[in-house]
Amino acid sequence: MSQQFTPNNPLPQEAKVPDEIATFPPEVEAEMDAHLAKYPVKRSAILPLMFIVQRERGGYLDPPGVAYLADRLGLRITDIWEVATFYSMINTEPVGRHHIQICKTLSCKIMGEPEITEHVCRKLGIQPGETTADGRFSVSLVECLGSCGTAPMFQIGFDYHENLTVEKVDEILDALP
Amino acid sequence: MNLKLVWIASSCQKQLMRIEAIGCEPLLLARFKYGNSHQLDVAREHGAYDALKKALDTMTPDDVINEVKKSSLRGRGGAGFPTGMKWSFVPKDSPKPKYVVCNADESEPGTFKDRYLMERDPHLLIEGMLLAAYALGSKTIYCYTRGEYRYLIEIMDRAIEEARAAGLVGNNILGSNFSCEVYTHTGAGAYICGEETALLNSLEGLRGHPRMKPPFPAVAGLYACPTVVNNVETFCAVPYIVTNGGEAYQKLGTEKSGGTKLWSVSGHVAYPGVYELPMGYDMEKFIFEDCGGIPNGKKLKAVIPGGSSVYIMPAGDIIGKNVKMDYEGLVAAGSMVGSGGFIVMDETVDVFESTKNLIEFYKHESCGWCTPCREGTDWLVKIFKRIARGEGRPEDAQLILDLCDNIEGKSFCPLGDAAAWPIQSAIKKFPEDFKKHLLPLAQAEAFSKATV
Amino acid sequence: MQELVKVTINGKDFQVAKGARLIDVCRENSFDIPSFCYYADLALQASCRMCLVRIEKMPKLQTSCTITCTDGMVVTTRSEEIEKAQRAMVEFLLANHPLDCPVCDRGGECELQEMAFDWGGLEERFFERKNYQPEKYLSPVVANDPQRCILCKRCTRVCDEWMGEDAIEAGGRGANTVIGTYGGWLNCSQCGNCIEVCPTGTLLDATYRHQARPWELAQTKSTCTFCSDGCQMSLGSRSGELMRAVARDRYVSGLNGEFLCIKGRFGHPFVNHEERLRTPMIRYKKGGKLIPATWDEAIRFTAERLDKVAEAHGPNSIGVVGSPRITNESLYALYKFATEVVGTENYTAADAFSLQPFFENLGGPLATHQDIRHAKTIVLIGGEPEELQPLTGKQIRQAVRNGGAKLIIINSREIRLKQQAAQFVHIRPGAEDAALLALVGAETDSLVARKLDVEASALEMMRKTLSETEGDLIFMFGGELSRAAQTVVAQLPYVFAAANRRVLLHPLPLYNNSIGAHDIMLMRNAKTASEMLDGAGEAVRAMYVAGSFLPEQMRGREEVLGKLDFLVVQELFETETTRFADVVLPAASFAESDGTFTNNDGFVQRVRQSIPPVHQAKQDWMITSMLAKELGVDFDFQMSASRIFEEIAQNVPPYEGLRYALLKNEAKPVQAKHRQAEQRDITKELDGVRLGVESLSETTEKLMGTPEVGHELFKPGTLTGKVPQFPLLAAGNPEPPTVAISPLYQITLDSALRRAEPVAGD
Ligand SMILES: Cc1cc2nc3c(=O)[nH]c(=O)nc-3n(C[C@H](O)[C@H](O)[C@H](O)COP(=O)(O)O)c2cc1C
Ligand code: SF4
Ligand code: FES
Repeated sequence: MSQQFTPNNPLPQEAKVPDEIATFPPEVEAEMDAHLAKYPVKRSAILPLMFIVQRERGGYLDPPGVAYLADRLGLRITDIWEVATFYSMINTEPVGRHHIQICKTLSCKIMGEPEITEHVCRKLGIQPGETTADGRFSVSLVECLGSCGTAPMFQIGFDYHENLTVEKVDEILDALP
Repeated sequence: MNLKLVWIASSCQKQLMRIEAIGCEPLLLARFKYGNSHQLDVAREHGAYDALKKALDTMTPDDVINEVKKSSLRGRGGAGFPTGMKWSFVPKDSPKPKYVVCNADESEPGTFKDRYLMERDPHLLIEGMLLAAYALGSKTIYCYTRGEYRYLIEIMDRAIEEARAAGLVGNNILGSNFSCEVYTHTGAGAYICGEETALLNSLEGLRGHPRMKPPFPAVAGLYACPTVVNNVETFCAVPYIVTNGGEAYQKLGTEKSGGTKLWSVSGHVAYPGVYELPMGYDMEKFIFEDCGGIPNGKKLKAVIPGGSSVYIMPAGDIIGKNVKMDYEGLVAAGSMVGSGGFIVMDETVDVFESTKNLIEFYKHESCGWCTPCREGTDWLVKIFKRIARGEGRPEDAQLILDLCDNIEGKSFCPLGDAAAWPIQSAIKKFPEDFKKHLLPLAQAEAFSKATV
Repeated sequence: MQELVKVTINGKDFQVAKGARLIDVCRENSFDIPSFCYYADLALQASCRMCLVRIEKMPKLQTSCTITCTDGMVVTTRSEEIEKAQRAMVEFLLANHPLDCPVCDRGGECELQEMAFDWGGLEERFFERKNYQPEKYLSPVVANDPQRCILCKRCTRVCDEWMGEDAIEAGGRGANTVIGTYGGWLNCSQCGNCIEVCPTGTLLDATYRHQARPWELAQTKSTCTFCSDGCQMSLGSRSGELMRAVARDRYVSGLNGEFLCIKGRFGHPFVNHEERLRTPMIRYKKGGKLIPATWDEAIRFTAERLDKVAEAHGPNSIGVVGSPRITNESLYALYKFATEVVGTENYTAADAFSLQPFFENLGGPLATHQDIRHAKTIVLIGGEPEELQPLTGKQIRQAVRNGGAKLIIINSREIRLKQQAAQFVHIRPGAEDAALLALVGAETDSLVARKLDVEASALEMMRKTLSETEGDLIFMFGGELSRAAQTVVAQLPYVFAAANRRVLLHPLPLYNNSIGAHDIMLMRNAKTASEMLDGAGEAVRAMYVAGSFLPEQMRGREEVLGKLDFLVVQELFETETTRFADVVLPAASFAESDGTFTNNDGFVQRVRQSIPPVHQAKQDWMITSMLAKELGVDFDFQMSASRIFEEIAQNVPPYEGLRYALLKNEAKPVQAKHRQAEQRDITKELDGVRLGVESLSETTEKLMGTPEVGHELFKPGTLTGKVPQFPLLAAGNPEPPTVAISPLYQITLDSALRRAEPVAGD
């Protein structure tokens, strides 16, 4: 059954209900415990834990990861889903190893973001929102990252790269493993 | 005295970004000139935690609140609500725990001041938050930082650890019987979580939808307990107020807008950066002298003075108009202080395009709770995209204004208003930029005549 | 005393209770205010922004759903400004809403349509592309067209607040927000309340999808035929076919509001099922085949045979068995048949357990569902309301969640309501009686604690809660209690009597008319259905059964009915009981009958005929009176159920003075007046209970784990088994390969799925 349609922004609803639960090494568990210890209510730790699970599970919340979170926080999987899909930094689908997030909001836009985007996309051969075939890079256009004074900029993973020029982009991307 | 301090951002080479105080002693930026100012020893050498010591030794919690009231400090997060008043709303006799929450979700386009405050002087923020906690009788502080600022959370965590080791955080701070914990919390990419009640929902592990007010957070906030939410910069101003008294702080600014304010300058200026100005500074002077004017010999076209959510100002409203950069002055000039995200645009910018860019931002960040904001921003983006494709119609200007009017004042939280204002002002102040995208009027009239 | 304040609405002054919700006040005083997200019984949302009004001295327009009335408030509900805003909201909602009303199941009863008609503008200004989202199924009973959603979130709120399931939630952000669930497949109790409260065609009844337009349906108010909660529903029928059952408040406003459970909402297709018995049938030779016959033949044949048995073995050799499923009128006809026509003492109703001792010693009023919703303390002994009496379950949940009630559960299984319980006492299976001893006093605590396998402190805590809380105290109990224990429960109101509280009782029988079967006196004889079965072929030589015996009553004695000289059964379907019948008579289902059911509140509620009896079926009481006539007694019912009810009102004390006319308004149900027994000495019963408790084993293992959602609700019984969704759900609700097509078309219901064990007669 295939159907032709152009969903606005398809939600990752197709994910299968997890039948296995992720496990983590003790040091990661300890890291999560440290976050849980901060709050009187377990649920509060949902975002920090999501980041950890995402980091450990290849960059996104895979179904076993979701099952783990639900179990750890005493929530239903749907509770995890509703929160995960609200926040744009939580990935519910796989992303490339290096997630290049180019800021496209006003200050960056007028300071040369379009050139940078075009260059990055041409260099990697993908469009914003896509991942390279080898799974190394994903490119997305994101909203203001708080680097307007050093525009244009992008963030790779959690690293800020500011005052970009085409040459600098080459340098940065080429240096990535 | 102008203290010129230039700091080069992590990978900054193309252009210098300045962080400096102009027209006043650096107050928030006081320690920025020292190397490694984020370290506790350096910070303490230059006065960090002196205010806390003073408060713990010589002041009652009410004294602290009173000084803050006297300082006429207003919230730096955007809404500009008087901080002292907000603090006094917290019920004194509530048996519930009280919380202090720092709003470091800085996501307003054009704003990046909190980032540098936390990066360069985390101890100032910690001290400010502790003072607030002392004033309000709170034992727990959460610092909600936007998820993208991961490195800042790490800096904050290290600073908190240092402070704890030095007996500045935790039990019996500085030997007093005041105990307080400071925790960092990470957001995960949602502008709406900067809105204080949405932030609290997010902190509780829910979707970041704003809550109904009343009850206000001061009465029922985090975990339904009394909670004060303030911006990073607001907290950072508190140590000075405690050390030097509220009046001294107030005098730095104007009567109603006390103290100094950080402005994050970006866009087409020679020296973008974070500037600390006393309230009431002259805008024209600021742009053309302190920020080095518009580069490449271009002319100034427009300024968005307070972050993307405020009214856009055309050059004509600034040059020769003696615009005062404070809460009252900017309202008089037809805009707002907002979060102090100062975006300068030169003549190459098409205001239609810049407005389209901003409405796309609001569509992306609308939380989807209420009808007008969710559907309105989505629809507006569609219209702007259509016009950008060359399918504009003359009546679109009216349609857009009408939609903005239908969003403004009807939405659940101020994000709806924030989305409408820039568009309304852009169309009003830059009709030419819009006109050229809409089918020329003459042509349309000829067309309708022909079809009659 | 409620404090009153003055509110001025559109220039008129009103005195209203302080703190009353403005939207309600306006509506009560006939000022129309449109709204989507406001739903009286759910948490406030204030997201649709339709209910805007202008209030003096307040900036901006205010949402009247969030405003509580204060003194001197001056409100305007109609003005140019407000109408423009409301037009704008409708325009926004319609902007991305597919205008496919002609093929939308909700077309014609859609709140968005109505709102657009009443409050919307005339022109359409939106001509950009809509954000397309494909239709899909969320479960075998819930279909979903996400693009039609206006995000009023009533569905997510009912799922959370009513059902406590949180199965359906909003995901995504901004214009991409959708209602759904992780993985896109709903694993919940499938109550379908999300469908009911949905104002648009976003969540739809998958069993009714594309079957009919609402305006073609004749709407008949009636009472549900499954459990003892007695939900009011509106049956939609078209040309003799029952199409759907809903509880939408535009059609019906009963004690359940818009609530129904999976059985009530989706269980009705058995009515027009092809396996319904079509004609009377006679088995001329034991072991032979049932041969279709005319009604005349069948009645004459039956009368002759019954006559013969009575002549040979005396009237007591004829057993008459009713069913807790059929109407009071039909039960009464049977009672009259047994006592006046045959003169037998062997009559009963095939219910799972008898409440006779309870009603004989009833020491306080029965709790209504409203009482439960507002109770302050609820004690639940045994039972599993969330599966067996879902409305009671919902009321308990809301009492705890919205009313802060304290819930104490004493159960051998960790039922789902445990989540809401202030105290959960996990006991050994079969030891429910012992808990009663602990309720009554501390003397037996050490024995009770040992037998229940709980800490004695838990019992102490239970009594402490009971003595400390104020407000209504309600005792509920399931079928686990012994007869002696039932007597004790019935007398508890005297034990806990206090000035500041009412003590109410709420039995949890299993069937829609279990209480009626008691009231009509069919169960007043000591003989139970099982005992009657044991006597089959010996003392009892012939039986007249309306309905069927329950599977658990037949268990272990499957062949016993074969020993009878003669068996006549009136039924909807062929069952284990009809297997040995000499005559099978096709009976009418609830949808084809007129009459009344009595629910566990004691409410006598109307059942109204929605469609004419299918094939040659007849209402049970008609069949009984035909038989009586053939045997020489004219019941003189004049073919009218209301005529029977008049007779019931004369002869059955709790129903004294009732008339159909008084039962007309389902919004104001009428409670039967069950006789209140005096306080009496219950030492004997307590001793009995204690003896029973002493004999309990102390080694029985406790049952661990929460029973799965739907383990009772989904069980395919005689009725629900005819609805293909139930076996599918009972088989674990497997996720189909694609959600774009109904799961029913994708998954073959192989025989393995169908073989799931039938439950208690439904
Ligand atoms: C849509 C929206 C976004 C906001 N974002 C931020 C923000 O990123 N940082 C911030 O400090 N305040 C933000 N605010 C303001 C907060 O709601 C709140 O007023 C502020 O945190 C209070 O602190 P203050 O009194 O110190 O300004 C935002 C408000 C709205 C309506
Ligand atoms: S205005 Fe409404 S939809 Fe927009 S962010 Fe606020 S609550 Fe959410
Ligand atoms: S009913 Fe008030 S906002 Fe929806």
